[in-house]
This record gives sequence, structure tokens and C-alpha cells, in this order.
Amino acid sequence: MAASAARPALIAVLATAGCGSASGPKDEDKSAAGGKLVVWDWKSGDATAASYVQKAKADFARKHPNVEVEFVAQPFDQYYTLLGAAIQSGKGPDVMLFNGGGQIRDRVDSLVALDEFVAPDRQRLAGWDAFGKGGRTYAAPVTLQGHPIYYNKALYKKAGLDPERPPATWTELLADCAAIVKAGARCFAQGNKEGIGIQFFMSGLGSGILTPREYDDWIAGKRDWQAPDVKRLFQLWKEVNDAGLNTDGANSTAMFNDAFAAFQAGKAAHMIGLMSDIGHWKDFNEFLEPANVGVMTAPVVTEGATPNLPYDGGIGYAVARWTKDPKVAADLVRSLTATDALASFYADAGAIASDTTIDVSTAGPAVATIVADLEAGKPALHVALSSQTIELMGRLSQQLLSGSVTVDEAVRQLAASDKPA
Amino acid sequence: MSNRTHPPLRPASAGRAGGRSAQSPPPSAAAAPRRRARRGPRGERLAPYVLVAPAILIIVALRLWPLGLGVNFSFTGDGERNGAPVGFDNYADLFGDPLFRTALRNVGLLVLLLPIAVAIPGLLATFIYLRVPGHRFFRSVYFFPAVLSPVIVGAIFNLLLAFDGPLNALLAKVGLGPVDWLGDPGIAMFAVVGVHIWATFGMALVVFLAGFATLDGALLDAARVDGASLGQVIWHVIVPGLSRTIQFVFVTTMIGMLTSMFGLLYVMTSGGPEGSTYLPEYYIWIQQGQFNRPALASAASTVLFMIMLVVGLLQLSLLRRAVKES
Repeated sequence: MAASAARPALIAVLATAGCGSASGPKDEDKSAAGGKLVVWDWKSGDATAASYVQKAKADFARKHPNVEVEFVAQPFDQYYTLLGAAIQSGKGPDVMLFNGGGQIRDRVDSLVALDEFVAPDRQRLAGWDAFGKGGRTYAAPVTLQGHPIYYNKALYKKAGLDPERPPATWTELLADCAAIVKAGARCFAQGNKEGIGIQFFMSGLGSGILTPREYDDWIAGKRDWQAPDVKRLFQLWKEVNDAGLNTDGANSTAMFNDAFAAFQAGKAAHMIGLMSDIGHWKDFNEFLEPANVGVMTAPVVTEGATPNLPYDGGIGYAVARWTKDPKVAADLVRSLTATDALASFYADAGAIASDTTIDVSTAGPAVATIVADLEAGKPALHVALSSQTIELMGRLSQQLLSGSVTVDEAVRQLAASDKPA
Repeated sequence: MSNRTHPPLRPASAGRAGGRSAQSPPPSAAAAPRRRARRGPRGERLAPYVLVAPAILIIVALRLWPLGLGVNFSFTGDGERNGAPVGFDNYADLFGDPLFRTALRNVGLLVLLLPIAVAIPGLLATFIYLRVPGHRFFRSVYFFPAVLSPVIVGAIFNLLLAFDGPLNALLAKVGLGPVDWLGDPGIAMFAVVGVHIWATFGMALVVFLAGFATLDGALLDAARVDGASLGQVIWHVIVPGLSRTIQFVFVTTMIGMLTSMFGLLYVMTSGGPEGSTYLPEYYIWIQQGQFNRPALASAASTVLFMIMLVVGLLQLSLLRRAVKES
């Protein structure tokens, strides 16, 4: 009898939950009630992030001693699925970690614009653009993520090339690659199983292919997919693979981490890698010795192109719209991007932190080159694309490699997908 | 069922009341008519509904109501049109999306590959039943992969099937070119289905062996005495004798293929290369999680539900026919 009395209550609960799921988050949800802030990320569980989290917490505790902070580390594979469900139910965390670019732009409806709160940090931190939409900023950058072209100086020597003079033009690159292939290695370590290889290729080499005008227009959202230089980018993607310059089986090799492993094992001389987290200078230094890891700018393909380091804000913390007091949550975001905390993150996790005042002089030549290039750097080309277009580009890039689609057809589909938001 | 085997409810309880008054000391003379008045014909008519109510309520609250919500949700928009009714827009998007069409085609492919997935454990079980040398060893070895999780199986085969992996090294030794098992869109789906069959046929094998236990050995001996070959024994004696088992394995294998390939796909191909290994489940997950389009994902779920409904009804009618035959 007790069960049957409980049943109508159960139905009522289900009914209200159902209504919530159909209409999105409600403002009146108070998940920060009781002076507690919940933070979702995929980092705080790592041992390398322990001291970063600890310092950020301590900094926040000085400002708000009564507010408790709970970090919930989610598995990265599931992160956006779980976050999507939380957003739908309007019961998400107060503060959450985002990748820059499409992932956060798709979800700004659920976030608080942070401009007024983070104004004092504007100058000190770099990489804001990746977390903005419509002129407003929705997260503060923690790390910078970008795509330097790493090269293996030992393989250059083995092929009889000068390791201190990496190729500056595409013609030179092809000549050097011929020598490297002759010496028994491949030119590029490539992995496109996830469709990520094309993103690295586009952003790593793009500044040597597009003219500065085309580049800036691209970032500003005025993208001409039919422009000859854009088509050239996709043609080169295919030509490099067809000419046997990539490691074998690009479409079945995962970028994370088989392609990185191929570069670390000295199977290929170049790798368009990352700046932070993984597949970056710190990993490569460990395997190849810091003195053997070089960083070069994109070789010039189109006359008039000005190669630069492509980078954006990598990951950053955002504040959910349903948090009780956005000011307090924003203060936590500021603590999470304080110089002291970020210095720990840089040192322990091997990330290029968003804070440009951190000293990196002791970490080897590769990271010194990267940090020196930050000044002239520009946002990466692929980060400007929506996650839908990115996904389509991944699939088309695989089809380009297997020859089941032409460059013209690929850019046509991409242009159709890349509609203004 | 109860209606057929028992007399109608009202006379039955009337009889019971009479019986009780005959066996036990009768309740006070006034109480009996009063009770009949209170729990009279109407209460008795309601009794069956009250009794099935808990089951109905649970099904409605936990199954049908959420299902209705999900279907209703699939007619609303995503992103800027969040919550607004959009009619059949999501379904138009869905069938306009080549990825979803690929996913549906792959469901068709799974149905086509079903006979192979059933024939393999069937044949191997037959050999074990016919006591090929080492049958005891094979019986345990065949079952072994069934205890591994799809993630582990996927990780193992990722290594084995890698472009520079051991299988291609073996092929190179016998002079065959390398095959891009997981990188060629024409091969990847077959590779994943092959691994799925490898990983799950042990369970079907056990079911077949159980079926063999009911097979009449005398029939086999008779066939042998009559000089039947192995093929004839299998075709004329074993297959007809096991028809119900075979049908059962067909049904369960189909369900397994349609509902439990996600783990393998996720680990082995992530829907690639070129989107060639998408299945509806994986598509739903991608749309909901990666592209933040829960309403579109609901529409895809609704379509998947329809497919499963049709498959389920077909299977039901198959099973019913099998029961009738027996």
C-alpha cells in the first residue's frame, strides 16, 4: 500500500523533470546554494594539475573564505555529453572548463558574459578570442593551444641537412623531405583517424598558404572556400599524402597518440603538434632530447603570405548562467587564472599558460621559440569553424586521402556547411 | 488466460463466499449482507484493474511517458530555436544528413550479415557435438572472448589491425599487400562486424550446445547407418532438429548486433573512416554530446525506436510461429 501511495508522487516528479528537459535551463535553479561552488573539468584529477588546483583554491579561499569549492573531474571523452545533459536539465556546475572555439561558442546561451569581471586580467592573459562570441567574453583562458611545426634535428643531420636552417618555402620543404625520405624516415608524422590531422595541417601550414588579408578575413568569419588559396590548402593535404611524405595509413592512425608516437620514435622528421597538454614540446623533449626538438614557422607556399604561429586560448573556465552569484563564481575563475596557479600548471603539466609573464627560459629551445612567436601569432584557422564544419572537414579529409572526393567537391560541401551563425 | 481456465470472476467469488460460510463458523448474520453491499458487484469489477494498476503505472510512468516526451521533444528545435515547435524539421535534417543515411544503411548491412553471424557458432558447435579431436579444448576456448568487454576487445584489435600492425606484417610475409583494415571505408565496417562476431559468438555457441543436448542421438546413428555423409547429416538431421534453437540464436544475435556495437565502434573507428561505420546509436550520441543538438538526437532515437519496433515485431511473430510448430 505504501508503494501505491508513493507512485503518484513519482509521476509528478517525472512530469516536472520532463518539462524542464524540453525547455532548457531555468534561471531560478540554485546549484550554488549553501555557499558552495561546483567546478566541472577534465583536468583536476590529473596528478600534474594537483598543485595548480591547490594554489587556485587557496587564492579563492583568501577572497571568499565561506564559499566551499568542489572540483568534479569528468572523463574528457564524455565531458561534453555530460555537460550537454546537465545544461538541458538546468542543474549543471557553477564553473566549468571549456575548450576554446566551437565547443564554447555553441553553448554561450548557458553562460554568463565575463567581460566586467575579468577586465583587470585582460592585459596579463592571452588567448581571449577563442572564448568570445558576438563581442563578449565567456571564459578566461588558462592555457594557450596552438600548432607549432616541430622538427627532429637529429633526422635533419642524418639526411645531411642543416638542423638550424629549416625550410622557409614549400619548394625547400619538398627538397628537404626528399633527402629525409632517402635517409629512411618520412617527412610528416600524420594521424587522421579522428579527422584531426586536417585541423593540424590547416592551422599549422595555413599562414604560409593564405595571404594575410585572406587569413584575417577567415578569422573574422568572411570565409571564401572557393578562393584558390583555400583550395590549394586542401590540394597540398592530398599531394603530401599521395607523394608518400606522410607516415603510412594516415586514415587509420590516431593523432592521439599514435602519430605523436611516430614522431617521438624518429619515424618522421616533422610533426604539426600542439603547444599544451599533449603532443607538445615537453613530450617531444623527453623522447628526442631538448636539443633535437626544433620549431619552425610554416613554409611559404603563396607569395606574400606571412607565416606566424597559430594559437588560441586552449582551455578556459566559464560561469554558468544558473549560478547563484555570478560575481563569486567569476572570482573563482580569476583565481583559476592567477599567475601563481598558472605557473604551476605550466611547470607540472607542460602547458603554455595564458599568462605571458611566466618565465619559460629554462625549458629548452623549442618552448623558447614558441613563446617568442606568441607576440606575432594569430588565431588558428580551424578554431574559427563550427564543430559541425570541423566534423564534416574531418570526414572529407579522409575522403580526400582515399580519393573518393575531389577538392572542388570538398570545398563545396564545406562552404555549404559553414553558414554564418 | 485466466478467463479461459477459470469460471467468470463473479460467480467464482460468490461460490467462495458460500464455501467459507459452509466450512467456518458463519460471521454474524448481520455482517454478511452488509459486506456484500459494500464490496458488491462494483468493487469486484474494479478488483482486476486495481491489481494490474501497479504494473500499468510503472510501464506508463517509466516507459511510455518518457517515450512520449522524447518523441515530443524531437518536434522541437535546438540552439536558438530551443523549445520552439519546429514540426518535422528535425526529421528532414535527419534524412538529409548523409551520415544518418549511412547509419541506416549499416543497419541493413548488419541484417544481411546476420546469417553468417549465426552460421559460425552453429557450425563450430556442430563440430564440437560431433567430437572432432580436441573438442573439449575448443569448447572452452571459443567461449573465452565472450567474457571480455568490448572496450578491451576493441583495443586489442586496434593494435592487431593497425596499418603497421601484426596482421599486415603477416600478410606481407606471404606476399600480400597491406590492407588498411580500419582506414578503408569499404573494409572498416566488415572489420568491426567481424570483431563483434568473434567477441560474441561464444554465447551463441553455448546456446547451440544446449540445443544439441535435446537432439535425439538415435536419429544420428540411424542416419550414419544409412550411410549419410557429414553434409547430409547436418542438413537433414541436425538443422531440422535444432530449428527452434536456430531461431532463438537469430533473434538474440540480431538484438546484440543492433544494440551492443557502440563500445566497439567507439574504440575501433569512432564512426570513421569517412563516416562509414556510423550506426544510429553512435549518431545519436554524437549529435547529443558533440554537436549539442539534443532535439535532433531525439528524432534519431525515435527513428531507431521505430526500426527496433519493426524488428521486434518480426521476431515476435517468428518466435510465435516456432512455438506453434512445436
